[in-house]
Amino acid sequence: MRPLLLILAALAVVVALAWRHWTHRVVRERHRIEDALKHLFDQEYRGRHASLTSLKGTLHLPDGPVLALVARMQALDLVRARGQEFDLTPEGERLALQVVRAHRLLERYFADEARLPLSQVHAAAERHEHSLSAEAANRLAADLGHPTVDPHGDPIPSREGDVPPAVGVPATSWTPETTGRIVHLEDEPPISFAQIVAEGLRVGQTVRVIERTPTRVVLTDGENEYRFAPAVAANVFLAPAPAHTAAAGVVRLPDLPDHVLAEITGLDDRCQGFSRRRMMDLGFTDGARIEPILRTFAGDPRAYRIRGTVVAVRRDQAEHVIVRPLDTATRGLA
Amino acid sequence: MTTGSTSATTPEAVIRRAASLRDTLSRGFRDEAVRSLYAEASRIADRATVRDGARLDIDQRIDALVTSPILGLPIMALLLAIVFWLTVAGANVPSAMLAEGLFWIEGLGVRMFEAIGLPWWITGFVWNGVYRGLAWVVSVMLPPMAIFFPMFTILEDLGYLPRVAFNLDFLFRRAGAHGKQALSMAMGFGCNAAGVIATRVIDSPRERLVAILTNNFVPCNGRYPTLIMLATIFVGAAFPPAFASFAAAGAVMAVVLIGVGVTLVVSWALSRTILKGEASAFTLELPPYRRPGILRIIYTSLIDRTLFVLWRAMLTAAPAGAVIWILANVHVGGASIAQHTADALGPLGHAIGLDGAVLLAYIIAIPANEIVVPTLMMIYLGTGMMTDVTSFEDLRRVLVDENGWTMLTAVNLMLFSLLHNPCATTILTIYKETLSARWATIGALMPLGLAFIVTFLVATIWRLVA
Amino acid sequence: MSTHDCDTCVFHAELERMGVSTDRFDRVVALAGNPNTGKSTLFNSLTGLKQHTGNWPGKTVSRAEGGFEFNKVRYKIVDLPGTYSLLSASHDEQVARDFLLFGRPDVTIVVTDATSLERNLNLVLQVLEITDRVVVAVNLMDEARRKGITVDLRSLARDLGVPAVGIVARTGEGVRDLLAQVDALSSGEAVTAPLRIRGTGEFQRAVDELVPLIEAAAPGVPNARWIAIRLLDGDAEVETALASGRLAQLTAEQQQAAQGFSRKIALDGAQ
Repeated sequence: MRPLLLILAALAVVVALAWRHWTHRVVRERHRIEDALKHLFDQEYRGRHASLTSLKGTLHLPDGPVLALVARMQALDLVRARGQEFDLTPEGERLALQVVRAHRLLERYFADEARLPLSQVHAAAERHEHSLSAEAANRLAADLGHPTVDPHGDPIPSREGDVPPAVGVPATSWTPETTGRIVHLEDEPPISFAQIVAEGLRVGQTVRVIERTPTRVVLTDGENEYRFAPAVAANVFLAPAPAHTAAAGVVRLPDLPDHVLAEITGLDDRCQGFSRRRMMDLGFTDGARIEPILRTFAGDPRAYRIRGTVVAVRRDQAEHVIVRPLDTATRGLA
Repeated sequence: MTTGSTSATTPEAVIRRAASLRDTLSRGFRDEAVRSLYAEASRIADRATVRDGARLDIDQRIDALVTSPILGLPIMALLLAIVFWLTVAGANVPSAMLAEGLFWIEGLGVRMFEAIGLPWWITGFVWNGVYRGLAWVVSVMLPPMAIFFPMFTILEDLGYLPRVAFNLDFLFRRAGAHGKQALSMAMGFGCNAAGVIATRVIDSPRERLVAILTNNFVPCNGRYPTLIMLATIFVGAAFPPAFASFAAAGAVMAVVLIGVGVTLVVSWALSRTILKGEASAFTLELPPYRRPGILRIIYTSLIDRTLFVLWRAMLTAAPAGAVIWILANVHVGGASIAQHTADALGPLGHAIGLDGAVLLAYIIAIPANEIVVPTLMMIYLGTGMMTDVTSFEDLRRVLVDENGWTMLTAVNLMLFSLLHNPCATTILTIYKETLSARWATIGALMPLGLAFIVTFLVATIWRLVA
Repeated sequence: MSTHDCDTCVFHAELERMGVSTDRFDRVVALAGNPNTGKSTLFNSLTGLKQHTGNWPGKTVSRAEGGFEFNKVRYKIVDLPGTYSLLSASHDEQVARDFLLFGRPDVTIVVTDATSLERNLNLVLQVLEITDRVVVAVNLMDEARRKGITVDLRSLARDLGVPAVGIVARTGEGVRDLLAQVDALSSGEAVTAPLRIRGTGEFQRAVDELVPLIEAAAPGVPNARWIAIRLLDGDAEVETALASGRLAQLTAEQQQAAQGFSRKIALDGAQ
């Protein structure tokens, strides 16, 4: 009796382990396929083609597994091989759009609501994108107020799978001395992206190219200068700046001196998510009159009179409010 | 969601249509909606209001003073000190009177029970155990709360508290926390459970958790008796009588400031470890100053806060009184259970600069911190009931002369009282607010661990230096 | 006490689901407003000690409700969380919005601060998009006077299309007038014509296209326009309510109530 029980128990353990191993493999394979699809999609979106080499680099896998993966994806009718390069099939593109949508919505969430540093947003989204169902992605989109771009400036596919065409010109081909708005920061390769972020460039920022030589590209936002090697600068994409930020006579709210009345001309696009909604709800909208009236010991936050109330805002949020001073005569307290 | 349905009038179809229409709207539809709302609001308000511009804006003048870069923080510290001093100085006499009255009733009750001929242990359990626990809590807690809460409510009603959050935000920002954490901390001075609930004003879940987990580091009303007693005996006594209450209030204030410092450091550490993230949106309205409504103050501070907190304390004090009585009156091998346990805890207590009796008192006082001091007295005096030593001279004699307390004991007890785990009610409140046993556990164990580490370090360094 | 002797019984299932006990009252009044407008002061002065506080079901959002009587009608008053807006996804705003939409209070009082009307009207306009039985209470009239601000209540009422009453909640000044308006509105004596914001052309076109679809999907829904706006904004709660049929069901109940209500008035009038 006892040996039989032991054998049964051992069998149960083996079956359980095998089941775990097998499900784990299935899950891992699904993740890899999704990552590969995402890469193929990114390449096609930027008008390039994915190859075995680029796949190997993205997935951090040796030749053997990548070949096996591609074979599997071909068997599933997700990709087609064309010589050295791969294309997505319609079904592959549909799946890819789903993963990309999940990824970019998650990035938006981690950047705006969880407030992770921008450099960690991508990795956090990578970890969660495979477990976000299409249904859950729709809910997340609704909760975030249906954002249209991710924190890097990439468009978020709609739930029908529509993606607007890529916009923006690499900084390396932008006309010098004209103002442009950063619309996209390419997050591959991660090393250039890390450098761009470390220098302090953000999507939505308005910059000018002041120097373009074969060895370096220099951008400025009026205050700071950003120097990059051309290979890195090619990952910064610019588009014509909207009127309100390019207009003359405007400053950012932190630069408005105390007790100077101004009119808000806009909130810039870097301010997103909860922060933007809360600012707008409090009346920080175009045309509102605003006057800085109090500053603390540390100079930050400052309190502003706006729409008959006094609201304190931290500097990093006030940074996003663009105002036009109305009079230069300071109105003192007494 | 059924995607097969083709009828244009199913809810699913309407939602799908709405989603595709949304894509036809230019970007920033939400922005546009808020803009038109505000444009209309502004137009209507302009038509309906006439401003006599000549009036002085008194609010702005007060704000210029209380949030001034130079005077803002000192004014805040001064106000806090005044509140503490009034609480310390004002509560003494009523506390003593209450204690006298309530203990007189106890004597009466004991004599009555004896007259009926009830056995000693029923009399002891009911009057010296349960009743005495209640009487202690009422006489020690009611007067300070009846002074502290109304003053706090006045500051709240005036609109001063948002200014505190404004003044202190620069510290919280650096700690990766939310400026409104200052508001929940202020509430925590009254009761940490109330402070945990008050974190609801913080929108960001991460920063709210930071505020919840660190609220314990502002000493609540139940911990003042310990702090006030130590401050009076060890700090106040070193000064001439005229200044004693100021010195004592100053010592309490110093402990509170240490608590604020610990809050900031722990918030900073949490923001970089288990609650990783950057400071989120901080928008804080500074409402106009308003004359507090007297009725509202009485209602809010006395009924909502004082009586609520007192009732809760009594609910926990009565059973705790019973437990203490049993521990002190059941003897095993010549000594009470209380004595045995205190002896067993002795080495651990010594390592952190305290003794076994203090640790036992804190274990018994998990339901309510208020009963720490009376329990301690009971263990020291071995009287078999919670003891009220009426004068501070008596206390000093018991602690210093008979039980070998030193300045180190006093300092470490203050630190332990400030840092140790929150009371059972607060832990339960953390669970209810976060709906997570994990956060409730962390909220209980993290401060306890910190208390042991800090007191151990202080004791070790003190002994090396001294 | 049974709930059969009230005008709005059919909503009670929904109210009870939202944690509002439905005993011992005839009508439901919701109290909305910005934070710091004296909303709680008004609530306290109306209810006195007849109030209790707790949480909204399933949410860590505080709720206070209480009762008061005016002109022999018993009112249940629900103090909604103080919010600046109803558009965002914070818990407070969700609770307030859901209560106005699904709880269907007989009257909603929006408490505003006379010294900062502009900011407060933003919320008033949003409430007017959801429900038309609204009374605007312009509180802190004394403070406005002290600051040299005069509020023209008639102009305000005309522009908003709903009654506006000046009050000082702390002293009780004007509160009787406010309750008289609440009474008139909840009994059906007074009718309002609330202002609705028209947005940009493309927005208006999108709304106009959706409204008939919503009316077909949930027949008789009284504020299809607002539902359309919320759907365009992608409000997940409203989407769920529409998809699950809760919205249609509510609407049907509301129509029955309206009929029952007018019948009751007819009977009362005949006596």
